[in-house]
Amino acid sequence: MVFSSVMFMYFFLPCVLLLYYVSPKKFKNLVILASGLFFYAWGEPVYVFLMLFTTFVDYMAGLFIHKYDKQPKKRTYALLGSLIINLGILFVFKYSGFVADIFGIDIETLPLPIGISFYTFQSISYTIDMYLRKIKVQKSFINYAAYVTLFPQIVAGPIVRYEDVQNEINHRKINGVLIGEGVGIFIKGLFKKLFLANSIGMLWSEVKAMDYSEISVVTAWLGILAFTFQIYYDFSGYSDMAVGLGKMLGFNFPENFRHPYISRSISEFWRRWHITLGSWFRSYVYIPLGGNRKGLAKTLRNLLIVWGLTGLWHGASWNFILWGLYFGLIIIIEKLFLGRKLKRLRPWVGNAYTFILVVFGWVLFDTNTLGDAVSYLGAMFGAGSGFLDTVGAYEFKNYFVLFILCAVGSTEIFGRTVKKLQRYYGVSKIMCYATPIVQAAVLLMCTAYLVDSTYNPFLYFRF
Amino acid sequence: MQRKQKIFSAVVFMLIIFLMPLIFLISGKKSFSMEENRPLAKKPEFSFSLLADKTYMSDMDSFLSDNFPNRTGWVKTKKFFDRMLGKTIINGIYLADDMLIEKLPEPDYDEVEKSIDAVNRFAEYYGNTKVSFMLVPTSAGVYPDKLPSAAPQLNQREFINETASRLNSDVSVIDIYDTMIAERENYIYYRTDHHWTSYGAYCAYRHASANLGYKAADYNKFDIEHVSSDFTGTFYNKCFYDGVEKDIIDIYNYKNGNNVTSVTQNDGAGETSSDSIYFREYLDGGDKYCVFLGNNKAYTNIKTDSLNRKKILVIKDSYANAFIPFLVNHYSEIAVVDLRYVKNSLKEYINPNNYDQTLFLYNASTFSTDTNVKMAGFTEQ
Repeated sequence: MVFSSVMFMYFFLPCVLLLYYVSPKKFKNLVILASGLFFYAWGEPVYVFLMLFTTFVDYMAGLFIHKYDKQPKKRTYALLGSLIINLGILFVFKYSGFVADIFGIDIETLPLPIGISFYTFQSISYTIDMYLRKIKVQKSFINYAAYVTLFPQIVAGPIVRYEDVQNEINHRKINGVLIGEGVGIFIKGLFKKLFLANSIGMLWSEVKAMDYSEISVVTAWLGILAFTFQIYYDFSGYSDMAVGLGKMLGFNFPENFRHPYISRSISEFWRRWHITLGSWFRSYVYIPLGGNRKGLAKTLRNLLIVWGLTGLWHGASWNFILWGLYFGLIIIIEKLFLGRKLKRLRPWVGNAYTFILVVFGWVLFDTNTLGDAVSYLGAMFGAGSGFLDTVGAYEFKNYFVLFILCAVGSTEIFGRTVKKLQRYYGVSKIMCYATPIVQAAVLLMCTAYLVDSTYNPFLYFRF
Repeated sequence: MQRKQKIFSAVVFMLIIFLMPLIFLISGKKSFSMEENRPLAKKPEFSFSLLADKTYMSDMDSFLSDNFPNRTGWVKTKKFFDRMLGKTIINGIYLADDMLIEKLPEPDYDEVEKSIDAVNRFAEYYGNTKVSFMLVPTSAGVYPDKLPSAAPQLNQREFINETASRLNSDVSVIDIYDTMIAERENYIYYRTDHHWTSYGAYCAYRHASANLGYKAADYNKFDIEHVSSDFTGTFYNKCFYDGVEKDIIDIYNYKNGNNVTSVTQNDGAGETSSDSIYFREYLDGGDKYCVFLGNNKAYTNIKTDSLNRKKILVIKDSYANAFIPFLVNHYSEIAVVDLRYVKNSLKEYINPNNYDQTLFLYNASTFSTDTNVKMAGFTEQ
């Protein structure tokens, strides 16, 4: 199931919330588990058993690591067992076809379970942190399974580590204020996904399907800029919805996006984009490899490994690997000298530099093959059909307003203005009534977009 | 204050998400949407096999959004926001000043080639019938100047000329384009529908007289009956734009013309008959254009009390439905085949050699996209 559907908004969510709020405390996690399984099974009626299996494996691994606290060998085996099973399943479903292809072997591959990369990473964080003694063991299977199947974050993140919710999974406070806060964040996410991402995404889906040797410079740039905003609003919209739903259930999930497009360097961009993924790789790959404490050569090696894997996490194809390495390389260059230079220049130089490099990255990310990426980049520089054609001119006119909205929305202007107004006028009585009314209006507007959804894609099926 | 606001937010949200499903449950479900002119999804039957391959879920999703309370209102709201964002094309329909115009996609030329081949093969194989071919531009081809500026659009003039030039000499082409252009100040296309009006069809009927060999009746010989003045057609159903006037449907009655003696239709499942080519019951429904010959059937046979014994076969799309009423005055039998609804071959219904003439009548939009035209060339059985 996806959040942006009538089924979720007006059937699943009200049923679950009702059941959840009226259940006594000790049954609440059971409600979360049952609803999470239903939510996941709605999209993956067969693979839901696979997910339950890995959940059970990691739960058992946690118990073993806890039990053999004084026997380093046994705890290590438990950890390795969990890692091998988790990563093995991930490999079989996600990467076996790709790897076989490299070696020229033809194999039958299975369809990819939705959200496998998200829930596998979440689950792994539990066993590794157990091993590192950073967290307490979860003795109740229901509580542990409730963490993994927590429906707000199961299919598209944020990657909530067990550490993040270990207290809340056992004891949490649910109250009207937290629910209301969650409602606001959820509606913001719904708006981002349905109103901004889906609308501007239609332009990219049109341009993406064109013959790249026949598109003009303007069309090519419009297309990839449309994707630039689509992926941001779609992804951060999902994260907002997840965070909002989490609060409605009494959880505080980590923030996942912080205005990434106003970054002044690529390093900064990755501290603002899909934050939970970056910090996962940092904690569980980069730092265990030695991070930056073992000399320049090893630091560079570690960076390339992390960024190659980050790319690969997004999907099994050369485009994704190169996309990751592309950022790895830029980050290395920034670490070596460019970062310091950028800081001395005017801020907008850094903004422009970052934004353009990110946009080029999206070409690599979302075209189907490396060949396509190259010819698309060519079209952006005039290798297609001239500078401007009728399609480009027409689409520019058609999407102009939406581009402005998307561009302004990706900065901090809106949030800052609201804060300024609040500081100036105080949180007045008017705001107190106006905010819920605006939220209701946006919710109803989004409902119109749900009911008449001609284009409502789920972008993370390859993750 | 902050606390109070958040609690209000929570209450309003809960009210909305709890009330909506309750309204859904008590509201009546429809099986057909008049506004959108399409059948609505039914509640899926549960079975484990449908569950395992996810069809149950996707069917349920369609059922929920199709039967959402006041669906049309929501759909209109969505289209309203589309327009607010400055979009001049909604769901493939350009919003021009006084009419809606469809965006024609670039044709799949390999498929078009097969259709052209089929017409040529048909003419070659059925030697006893004289074959004519009329490809009618749609409103997009006649009013390109009304499109939003720089709007991409198929060049219909080129498409029609190119198609005509590839037909063999035993297919006689009726070039209707200039006639439609000359009449463009008149009401020849519906503003909200993809069809031509009865007047548009009349212009074509007059123009085709030389080619088909009849003497077209004068315009003032007809009694024109306005059968509907609130017709909203397929274009409207796609974009729900209310800025365009509703359409008028006219029936042209010819006092001195032939009388229809029988109309039989076959949709592949069985034969039905009636005594008129007008199906007025459709005037109360969503797709009022169906007043002409009913909704499209694989085969229709019209017999008249004409004494001239001339018989014509029309292989067509729905544009012909408004055109055929004019032919009634000149033929004793009109056989109509819509290949889109024919399963295997038109031979299931007729032998073209029994007809003096055959007219292929298509609009540029159907002919450039439909893949059933090639069935006309399936001559072996």
